[in-house]
Amino acid sequence: MIESPALNSPDISHRRRHSGTGRGWWWAAVVVLIPSLIPPATLTWIVASGGIDIGIPAGRLATLFVNTLGLTIAVTATALLIGIATAYLTARTDIPGRTTWMLIAALPLVVPSYVAALTIIAATGSGGVVDEYLGWAIPTPYGFAGSWLALSVFLAPMVHLTLVPALRRIDPSTEEAAIGLGASRLKTLVTVTIPQARPALIAAGLLVGLYTVSDFGAVSLLRFDTFTRAIYTLYVGQIDRTPAIALSLILMVMAVAIILAQRKVTTRATYYSRRPRAGAGLLHLRGWSRGAATFALAAYSFLTLVVPIGVMTRWLLRGLSVGQGAGQFWDETARSVGVALAAAVVGVIAAFPVAMVTARIQGRASRLVGSAVWASYAIPHVAVGVAVVAFALSAARPLYQSLALLIATYTVMFLAQSMASTEDSLLRASPDLEHAARGLGSGPLTTLRRIILPLAKPGLLAGAALIFLSVMKELPATLLLRPNGFETLAVRIWSTTGEGFYTQAATAGLLLLAVSVLPLLAVTRRDISD
Amino acid sequence: MMRPARSLLTLAVAGSLLIASCGGGEEGGDTLTVYSGRSEELVQPLIDLFEEATGIAVEVRYGESPELAALLIAEGESSNADVFFAQDPASLGSVGELLMELPDTILSTVDEKYRDRGQRWVGISGRVRTFVYNTSSTIPLPQTIDDVTSPAWASQVGVAPTNGSFLTFVSAMILERGEDATLDWLRDLAANDPIDYPSNSPIVAAADGGEIEGGLVNHYYLLQLRAQGGGADSENHFIPAGDVGSLVMTAGAGILTSSDNNDTAEQFLDFLLSRRAQEYFATVTFEYPLLDGVDAAEGLPPLSEIKTPDIDLSALSEVLDRATELVAEAGLV
Repeated sequence: MIESPALNSPDISHRRRHSGTGRGWWWAAVVVLIPSLIPPATLTWIVASGGIDIGIPAGRLATLFVNTLGLTIAVTATALLIGIATAYLTARTDIPGRTTWMLIAALPLVVPSYVAALTIIAATGSGGVVDEYLGWAIPTPYGFAGSWLALSVFLAPMVHLTLVPALRRIDPSTEEAAIGLGASRLKTLVTVTIPQARPALIAAGLLVGLYTVSDFGAVSLLRFDTFTRAIYTLYVGQIDRTPAIALSLILMVMAVAIILAQRKVTTRATYYSRRPRAGAGLLHLRGWSRGAATFALAAYSFLTLVVPIGVMTRWLLRGLSVGQGAGQFWDETARSVGVALAAAVVGVIAAFPVAMVTARIQGRASRLVGSAVWASYAIPHVAVGVAVVAFALSAARPLYQSLALLIATYTVMFLAQSMASTEDSLLRASPDLEHAARGLGSGPLTTLRRIILPLAKPGLLAGAALIFLSVMKELPATLLLRPNGFETLAVRIWSTTGEGFYTQAATAGLLLLAVSVLPLLAVTRRDISD
Repeated sequence: MMRPARSLLTLAVAGSLLIASCGGGEEGGDTLTVYSGRSEELVQPLIDLFEEATGIAVEVRYGESPELAALLIAEGESSNADVFFAQDPASLGSVGELLMELPDTILSTVDEKYRDRGQRWVGISGRVRTFVYNTSSTIPLPQTIDDVTSPAWASQVGVAPTNGSFLTFVSAMILERGEDATLDWLRDLAANDPIDYPSNSPIVAAADGGEIEGGLVNHYYLLQLRAQGGGADSENHFIPAGDVGSLVMTAGAGILTSSDNNDTAEQFLDFLLSRRAQEYFATVTFEYPLLDGVDAAEGLPPLSEIKTPDIDLSALSEVLDRATELVAEAGLV
């Protein structure tokens, strides 16, 4: 997906060069970047001015660290295994229905982690859906097991989407040679194919790791004591805000370190990847391996799509049958879609000058701009929320609890998504066109309107769709920053699940999936079809 | 083909129309703003009743009670909130200085045990700590809160150590016994291998399903389960020793001094203590009504028969953060 910077744009880094129109874009980009500095600056300032006593015992800190790290490693490894399997089968073999599976394997991305957790909670335990149909009350896997399951299964599509384009660029002749020399398919996969896709794999792994470190929904609902959950429980359960803010700062440093490592890897990867060879040969699956591969893909899709939708539908129907209201969620849906659209538009406009700088200007300063945007993308949302509330209360009182502040915060958090996709489109178009237009006497505005914007259009729209999806799913910052009375679908899923009102939670969850699926299809189709 | 600028404009207009159509977020002149630490699922039907009856628009910010208390403290004089409706007395106590003294007409509705000694908040409904147990269990029921940590109950008791009610219960224990004794009790509990749950309802469901023999919860979760058709195999046991095992925690409300909407805010508190609202608590949320003459839900002992320790509920605020720390120190989270 677009979250992995520059991976999808091979062989075009030479188009990043000086353009005569740089200065205006520079100024605009700097203005856009100023709000991005507010969350990290606020957290640092509060902790620095409060002294080093953060009021958390060292033992607790160690537990949080071990839990967060352990979960991250486990989820990353599992998601990589699943993602490699789905990407390899759909990009490199002739499995029946190949391109359809390629799309389906990306779809679980639409399921937010708290909906995954809701599914697990509503399916298990006495009275859960499994108990109802099989008469077997599996204990709800609270803690590590449940969080690990929810996150790895639903983050695997991120690996899938990063890996599919990379696998397609691999020249199949080396694989064919290995098999011709008598190597087994599995051995070929492990010793020939995977090493060639290594940069993409590392990038995908770091991305999954980042998401796990930052995830709030799954670990909170399934009660695994990681940093994000500790921050939120301290924030809402204590009067004193210092411990929550101190933990937010620690978590922010961890996440930013991960994204900077990821950026380093992916940028290097750009230079190594090759153009896809048209009609690249696909491995022929025969006999049982064909059946087994199809079964594996079907099982994965069943688990990630049919199970959540089925479990939620069952709770909805069950609630309705005993006369419980399904809940009225039209206002919540309208609010979710409304802020998501607004943030998408603002995000795309704000990202444009930044992308013009990173795509059209070379040099250290331009790279720094890109890194700054990715760094604010990495800051876990619970930390952003804590920081922005503190900032608004002390320095921007009129904005406090306003819709404008919520949308601005979304824009800061998700700017990287629209920046990357816009950058991608700009890199695919040669700046020579712009120079030619200017040379032929077009003014800068005419050139922008008639040349640059039409060329950037696919990237702008993809960026809008990505931000829309992210805002729909976003939970912790929305919980902390929403205006009074502004309940969104995500907020209601959270509160109803927490109270044990699974019928209402299921209704809101199904609505959220329904609204998100179209933009997701638009994005994945663009990413997958090349 | 649509130009990018036009597509973006269309999206922007669509987004603003959607937001405008559903309201929320705007401040009307006559709007009453309530910060509610009680959940939307429980409270919104009451708010709707109030809006219907009076024509006054109410805007609610839902959150956790201590979170909203911290917000109120940070917002100070410029807060938009008119009323703070909290789940627990500790959160109310911690914003005591921001609340105005309530008129006697409101205060006198409720027994003085269930209101602030400084007259800044009034109890609205009663929530009682209890020990839920599976009726087929053969383990003798705890007679004091200390029995819960006895070997008989090892690996059999469900707890929700991050839940607000559990923390209020621990805070009350600190007031009753002091920090050291409370930490000892928490350590004994942790050593007795309790089963962790995120909140009260799954504990009750697990006790009812026989996964665990008993659990420390609030009294109304079992009644909620019964209203949904379950709960036949479990029962509430009110620990009779008069210790915090049967603590009565009042949910309560106060009015912010910064409010310029005092009359409406008082009207709202009057409404919460009206017969209609109190019956809602008794029959829908199964909490104890605090208004004389409104009966508790069927099957519950009268509130006056429950032996609760005599502590100053407002003082809970002074030890709430300490309670969180002790729970962590004992290794329960």
